[in-house]
Amino acid sequence: MNAVIQTEKLTKSYGVHRGVVDVDLTVNEGEVFGFLGPNGAGKTTTIRTALDLIRPTSGRVLVFGIESSADPVAIHRRIGYIPGEFTLYDRLTGGQTIQYFANLRGGVDPAYQRSLIERFDIDPRRKYKELSKGNKQKIGLVVALQHQPELLILDEPTSGLDPLVQQSFFEVVREAQAAGRTVFLSSHILSEVERTCDRVAIIRDGRIVRTGRVEDLRDLAHHQVELRFPGDVPVAAFAGLPGVSDVTSDDHTLRLRVSGPITPVVQAAAGYDLLDFVSREPTLEETFLAEYADDPTAPASADTGSAA
Amino acid sequence: MSAAAAPLTGAVLGGRARGLGSVFAKTLRDSRRAILIATIFLASVILTGGAAMATAFGTAATRHEAADLAAAMPPILQGLLGPPVGLTSLGGFIEWRFYAVIAFFLPIWSILALSSTLAGEADRGSLDIVATTHLARRRIAIEKLLGHLAAVALTMVITAVVLVLTGQAFGTLPGDAIPIDAAVGFVALTGLLILVPGAIAFALSPLVGRGASAGIAAAAMVAAYFLNAFRASIPAFDVVAPASWYAWTRGHIPLAGVFDWPSLLAAAALIVVLLAVGVVLFDRRDIGITVRVPTPRIPQSLLGLGGPLMRSFGERLPTALAWGLGIGLYVLILTSAVPALQDVFNKAPQLAEMLRLVYPDVDMTSFAGVLQLVFVDFGLIVMGIAAATIVAGWASDESSGRLEVLLSAPISRFAWMLRSGLGALLAIVLIATFIAAAAALGAASLGNDPVTPFIGSYVMALYGTALAGIGLAVGGIFRPAYGAAAILALTILSFLDVILATALKLPDWVADLALGAHYGKPVVGDWDVAGVVASLVLAVGGLVVGAVGLSRRDVRV
Repeated sequence: MNAVIQTEKLTKSYGVHRGVVDVDLTVNEGEVFGFLGPNGAGKTTTIRTALDLIRPTSGRVLVFGIESSADPVAIHRRIGYIPGEFTLYDRLTGGQTIQYFANLRGGVDPAYQRSLIERFDIDPRRKYKELSKGNKQKIGLVVALQHQPELLILDEPTSGLDPLVQQSFFEVVREAQAAGRTVFLSSHILSEVERTCDRVAIIRDGRIVRTGRVEDLRDLAHHQVELRFPGDVPVAAFAGLPGVSDVTSDDHTLRLRVSGPITPVVQAAAGYDLLDFVSREPTLEETFLAEYADDPTAPASADTGSAA
Repeated sequence: MSAAAAPLTGAVLGGRARGLGSVFAKTLRDSRRAILIATIFLASVILTGGAAMATAFGTAATRHEAADLAAAMPPILQGLLGPPVGLTSLGGFIEWRFYAVIAFFLPIWSILALSSTLAGEADRGSLDIVATTHLARRRIAIEKLLGHLAAVALTMVITAVVLVLTGQAFGTLPGDAIPIDAAVGFVALTGLLILVPGAIAFALSPLVGRGASAGIAAAAMVAAYFLNAFRASIPAFDVVAPASWYAWTRGHIPLAGVFDWPSLLAAAALIVVLLAVGVVLFDRRDIGITVRVPTPRIPQSLLGLGGPLMRSFGERLPTALAWGLGIGLYVLILTSAVPALQDVFNKAPQLAEMLRLVYPDVDMTSFAGVLQLVFVDFGLIVMGIAAATIVAGWASDESSGRLEVLLSAPISRFAWMLRSGLGALLAIVLIATFIAAAAALGAASLGNDPVTPFIGSYVMALYGTALAGIGLAVGGIFRPAYGAAAILALTILSFLDVILATALKLPDWVADLALGAHYGKPVVGDWDVAGVVASLVLAVGGLVVGAVGLSRRDVRV
């Protein structure tokens, strides 16, 4: 697969402040790639570097094989972008704003432009400054999508959108993927990424801490297991098993967390009478929180690094 | 005290020390830069005036000559500059020489501050958060007001001290010392003149929002000033001039030893009423919901949707139109005073001779010669401020985050900067075109040659685009917000440089530092090529340098 975005040891510092450090990332052609991280983790810095809005302190970013700072216009010709925070022209209407950016692109397919305006339920006659936050975001989305770019770079694109419009947006993303386009999507909303993306990278404190397929990340993490016994709970028989942690019990119920293969727990449970055995696959959100919420200094995991 | 509470208390105390302990303190803290700029401006003007008076008019005889010259001016110019009272004293000269500058430009501070203190925060959304704390709306409004009043008061106290010290430092004749009551009277007047337009903006801002309230307050200030200034020359103005607070307070000339305290009470009462209206409206109305003030729509063809050049021009167009129409109107009114001045020069040949020392090749009995004398120097200052507002608008592309979206289109930063910067320069040329048209119209209506003043007035375009070029270069290399600040700083420095160099008889090169000194006498058709070339180089070169700078640095948000 061709790499559409590739960062190599990308580092960006703002004076003494950390931006991103040694970020290695590969986004392949045709995939929807999620870029996850808490606020201030370095998502926007990475994106802005890829677009040559800011320049790397060291390392480099290649987009379509072109180094971002070498020929940014060649890159911009093939992308659509929506920043995390932006303001457009207060004195123009939504429709005029969309048309201006279409003109900057040398024109767009008017039928597709109209279809986007209809799908996002935009009133193009209203002044931009009179629009709500969500409606301003919709204008930004149309600006990014209307020229049907090969690569969509979307920084927290669903911010401020209502659920119905979010649904329309995800449909458009899926259509773009079906048409062979690539989507790079940053978010701190895990369910959004889980629903939309093929692969995910997690960034924290400026460093990539994990990359992989969405389901791989989930499997790599853990299972929440709950066993109900008719009598006393044999805590000791389970507490020492490989991968088991966070063992708690009350009345006749034993709860534990299993990292890695669940087989030892299943085998141990087979030796007891059980009323119930529940193993639940965690959501990506639970994985993320379990993995990174408790330990702010957690080092990069074994999977750190290239996502290729 | 619990252990957990200790750090919080520390933080609160630290916050109070840093001006974050209350809405009042935060407002005062946010005013630090404005206080500094206003104080430096006032101190510079007063010290410069004191030094000029001591050097150029150090004897009783020279002062009487200057006073006679001022008294011989036609009513329209006396209206603009103020009545020539007490010009033989240091304080009287300072007040007469700088009243117009102080009374006309400093209120902009209060307009900007009081139009945005509530409405601006409502636009940003932060007022919703402040208003949902335990503070009542009325208290929030009052604390914000008190913060601004304290900032103005602090500036005035420092100004009073500077006045007294100036009298002591530069006084050369008996009566030059500035007594404390005169200094207090002057800063009371200045403070009130600053606050009236701000109070208008404050009263309207809950109703019509930040931009409209600032615009209406600025228009009211300009109208009030000119109604008073031209009431002696234009009978129609005399009918409505009593409504102007400049007219109410015109009898109060404290640095000349003339006091009219009751007139200040009337202005103070107006301020109190307007501020109270603003507080009540803010308390009763929905936050952030404003009435739209109808304004003429710009035709679709002028919006500039085709590309960055015309978009930048279209975006600057309302500002350029406002400046162009405003200065154009001023020039038109000024031209109507030219015949009266010609008459003065004809009747007082010694006066024309004195002016010929400054403008040796200009015929002061001609229309164009007089227009050159009364308009160009002041016009250049106003043009500098206009250029700063245009460049500030240009800078908003980047500071608002819009540039991120723009640059994701297939256009290089260099090309974007060249085109959008050129759009800003075109807006300045448009302002100059209005000025030139007004000068030509004024000349033609009085039966004079309109072509030479028309072409000569484009000196405003040269000066404005040169300063804008510097601003664009600074904004491109460093950060966009620095561009307008650099232009304003250059404008003020040029203004002070010319006054100081002339008054203190400093070497020619000091006066030549100001770009405005290198244009010759363009309104009479006498151009200095050096200034024209320098301006074009600064305008075009600054744009290119800015484009290179932007291409090399990070885009800021």
